[in-house]
Amino acid sequence: MPRHQLLQLPIMLGLGIVSGWRYSNHFNIGVSWGIAILVFIISSIIFWMLPHSIDYAVINTTFNRVMHINMFVAGFLLFPTLKHTLFEIKILFLGMVSAMMIATGITLLTYNLLLCSAFTIDQQKETGTQLIILGLVLFVTTLIVFFRGLGRR
Amino acid sequence: MQTPDSCSWQDVVESAKKLRMKKVLIPVLSLTVCFTIIWKWTLGFSAFTIFSYTLKSAGEIPRTFPDLQMINQDGKVFSMKEKQKYVLVNFVYLNCPYVCHKVNNQLEHIYHLFDRNTVPSKLEFVTLSFDLKNDDIKKIQLYRNYFGSDISGWSFALPYQSSQQAFNQFLGKLGVWKYSVPSTGIINHSVYLFLISPDGKIVKTFDPARDNDYIIAEQINACLREKAI
Repeated sequence: MPRHQLLQLPIMLGLGIVSGWRYSNHFNIGVSWGIAILVFIISSIIFWMLPHSIDYAVINTTFNRVMHINMFVAGFLLFPTLKHTLFEIKILFLGMVSAMMIATGITLLTYNLLLCSAFTIDQQKETGTQLIILGLVLFVTTLIVFFRGLGRR
Repeated sequence: MQTPDSCSWQDVVESAKKLRMKKVLIPVLSLTVCFTIIWKWTLGFSAFTIFSYTLKSAGEIPRTFPDLQMINQDGKVFSMKEKQKYVLVNFVYLNCPYVCHKVNNQLEHIYHLFDRNTVPSKLEFVTLSFDLKNDDIKKIQLYRNYFGSDISGWSFALPYQSSQQAFNQFLGKLGVWKYSVPSTGIINHSVYLFLISPDGKIVKTFDPARDNDYIIAEQINACLREKAI
């Protein structure tokens, strides 16, 4: 579970972000497309954080590949979309993702029953702790982006 | 008759409306598609784990308990249909490092919440093993002894002459998820308790990790009272 949720998902997302970075200047899409893409990205993250999806990705290779592709595409679209979208949408998106990660982390940490069949309770709690830390790091990043954005205005 | 000017003005208004519609429609469409996928995947936001998904996918209760021959700790072969009384069924495997024993301790508590007039005459308990490779009658007999000598009406059993494939099919029909972790050999599985009525139907499912022992006992009693009426 820690390997899956804390390494596979962020690595594929990260690879996508790195790949999409260089195209960010040629990717100026409108606000409505931007919102649509951010909805797709946040839904993808929600989908792959569901215990049911994690379990299925562990036992089904095809499903696992779909996860990798989905995360890569989400990452690829993330940076260019955030770069050209409205400041308010950017803050809302980052805030929502960090809140979601912290909430998932708390759930995994405090639940004493197994949520994913492919892992152990200890792994579940470890994932929960790490997700809270990652969520807090993202939250601090959001605050930095927020205040820097306010300073520029 | 429209002048060329008024016509172009109308065109501008129309195209502005279309543009605004398009701007709203794209995010709404994206949200609808994503929402629908997650809705379907979680069976209407009601099954977020593979355990609850498997249980829900098996169908609504009441439904028939799938047929399976079992053998108990004394070597007696039986099936649920022959019981003709309420039976509370749960699943374990003896090499389980944690959850199974916790659930069985909880079940022991629930068992002792019923008096001798109820168990075994109106209600029985059956604990069925998952592990066709490692568990045998001797082992389940020894395991049963841990719960004391005076537990009449609580059988520990194994599937009788059932292949792994047939047993997996039975579990699928019942709504029980089972997955063997290849690296450790640990079997992760649903811990639901199934209440079977005398006519062989699953009438209630309980999640011992969430449901309180007293509430489970009360709901079983309610079913027993219903039957008596």
